[in-house]
This record gives sequence, structure tokens and C-alpha cells, in this order.
Amino acid sequence: MGAIFDHLQGLLEHLGEKQIAILNLGGFELRFDIVTVIMSWIVVVLLVILALFLRRALRQDIEEKPNRVQAALDMLIDLLQGQLTSNFASERLAVALFPFIATLFLYVLLSNWLGVIPYMTSPTQDLNVTMGLALMVFGVSQILAMRMKGVRRYLKGYLEPVPFLLPLNIIGEISKPMSHAFRLFGNILAGSILVTVVMVKFAPTVVPPVLQLVFGLFFGAIQAFVFAILAVAYINVAVES
Amino acid sequence: MLQEAQEVVGGITGADIVTAAKYLAAGFCMAIGSIGSAIGEGIAAAHALDGMARQPEMQGALLRTMVLGQAITESTGIYSLLVAIVLLFVV
Repeated sequence: MGAIFDHLQGLLEHLGEKQIAILNLGGFELRFDIVTVIMSWIVVVLLVILALFLRRALRQDIEEKPNRVQAALDMLIDLLQGQLTSNFASERLAVALFPFIATLFLYVLLSNWLGVIPYMTSPTQDLNVTMGLALMVFGVSQILAMRMKGVRRYLKGYLEPVPFLLPLNIIGEISKPMSHAFRLFGNILAGSILVTVVMVKFAPTVVPPVLQLVFGLFFGAIQAFVFAILAVAYINVAVES
Repeated sequence: MLQEAQEVVGGITGADIVTAAKYLAAGFCMAIGSIGSAIGEGIAAAHALDGMARQPEMQGALLRTMVLGQAITESTGIYSLLVAIVLLFVV
């Protein structure tokens, strides 16, 4: 407990500082936030291990009675499909994009929950990670809109209702991924700062576990759900209008 | 002139004033900025509860829509949080 407390105190003193690695590639340099990269990889490896582990339970004949793991996974997939992709306008879109949306949800969920463990930080409290995810959703929505409506109708959509509103339409389109990214980043960062401050400055044993549960687990799950469902909404709007 | 002014304020430099203004601004930013999103989220929750009391079988859809609406309402609060963080750590 003492070591964790010292670690938190260090975090509080160095709040807002980042460890940046610079990779020099001849002409230009790449900058990495090391902590974010490592934590991101931990999340990815955890997800892959979980998937490989659970896949072993699925190797069987389709005639056979499903075992316990398979039944549980069926329920989980049903839940994700019902909650996330049932909001899509068309059934075809829901089926095609379910892996993408579900992966987003699982990655963000595990990232948020990683911050609960001492010595770990959520990758999602780095703006670069959330911005990357939001830009991915933005790219998918724009490309899908072009493919489903045709480039001409897609471009014409920016001139509606009157051509005079073109700048406003463009700003509206750009502000979507920005608010999408800032929402997740702000929520997770604020939660982690609050928990750290309360843990170090006030009762270090009584209050913090509850705060960790509320901010780490509960809000983390809600924010992951909101992130996925907003991705669905943005793709829907781009494809529909 | 400048020396006289410094004597009057008793050794408080310009940097001190900037730091004080930063903390004050960050505090006011969060305090005022969160009012709007808090009221908005409260209204959303109240009306969702109304709907649930009237039609309990719609609870799932209402809850989902409420969370989505609250998440969008929250963005103004998040923007003020970002401004506060920028004030504290970046400026």
C-alpha cells in the first residue's frame, strides 16, 4: 500500500508531464508517448489472448450441444448486437459493421478499465489515442457515404439546403470527430486526475476504492458504450442524409 | 516608475499574478462551464424517467437514447474541462 501511495504522489507531482521518445528518421522525427504506447499494447495483447483463449471452447461440431463458454459468448454477442448495431438504418450495414463497432467498444472498455490497476494508466487518457479512434470512425463514415450514395450525391450533400451554407456544413462535419475524441479523453482524464488527487490529499484508504469503482469501472463502461454508440450514430447520419 | 510599483505590491512579480490568474480562471471555467451541461443532463434524465414511468416496457430503448443524449449534452462541459486543463498545465 505504501509503495502504491508513493507512486500516486509521484504521479500527482508530475501531473501533465509526459515521457516522449523521439525517433529520428532522416529528415523528420517521430514523437511517441512511451507510456501510452506500452499501455495500448497491453490492451491489444490482453484482447488477443482473451480471444485465442475463448476460441478454444468454440471448436466443435455444430450439431453438438453448446458448452458453457459458448453459451456465455452467444449471450455476449447478442447483447452487443442488440445494444450497439441495432441502431443502424439497414440490416446489411449492421451485419457488415458489427465487428468494427464491437472491436471499438471492447478496446475502449478495456483501455478505460486498465486505469483502475495501480501502476497502469488508461491509453484513452491520451488525446492522440482517442483522436486516432475518432478519425478512424470519421474515415469509415465518409468512405461509406461515398460508396453508398455515389461521389456526386455525396458532394452535393454539402451544398444543401443552400450552397451558401457550404462552410457551415464542412465545419459541422469536422467538429464531429473532434467532439467524439474530446469527450472520451476528457472524461477519462478528469476521472484519473480526480482519483489521484483525492487518493493523495484526502483519506488514502477509505474513500478511494469507491471512487476508483465509480470513475474507473462504471464511468469507463458508460463512456465505452457512448463512444461505440456515437460511432454508430455518426456513420448512420453520414450514410442517410 | 517600475521599481516604485514593485515596492508598492511588496515583491509580487508579474509571474505570480499570472499564476494566480491561471488558477482563478481554471476554477471559474469549471464552475460556470459545468452549469449548462448539468442542467441539460438533468432535464434529459427527468424526461426519460417520465417516459419510463408511463411505459415501463420501453425502458431499454429510453435508457439507451437518454445516455446518448446526455453524452452529447455533456460535450460543452467537457470543452470547459479542456480549457481548464490547458489553463493549468499548458499556458
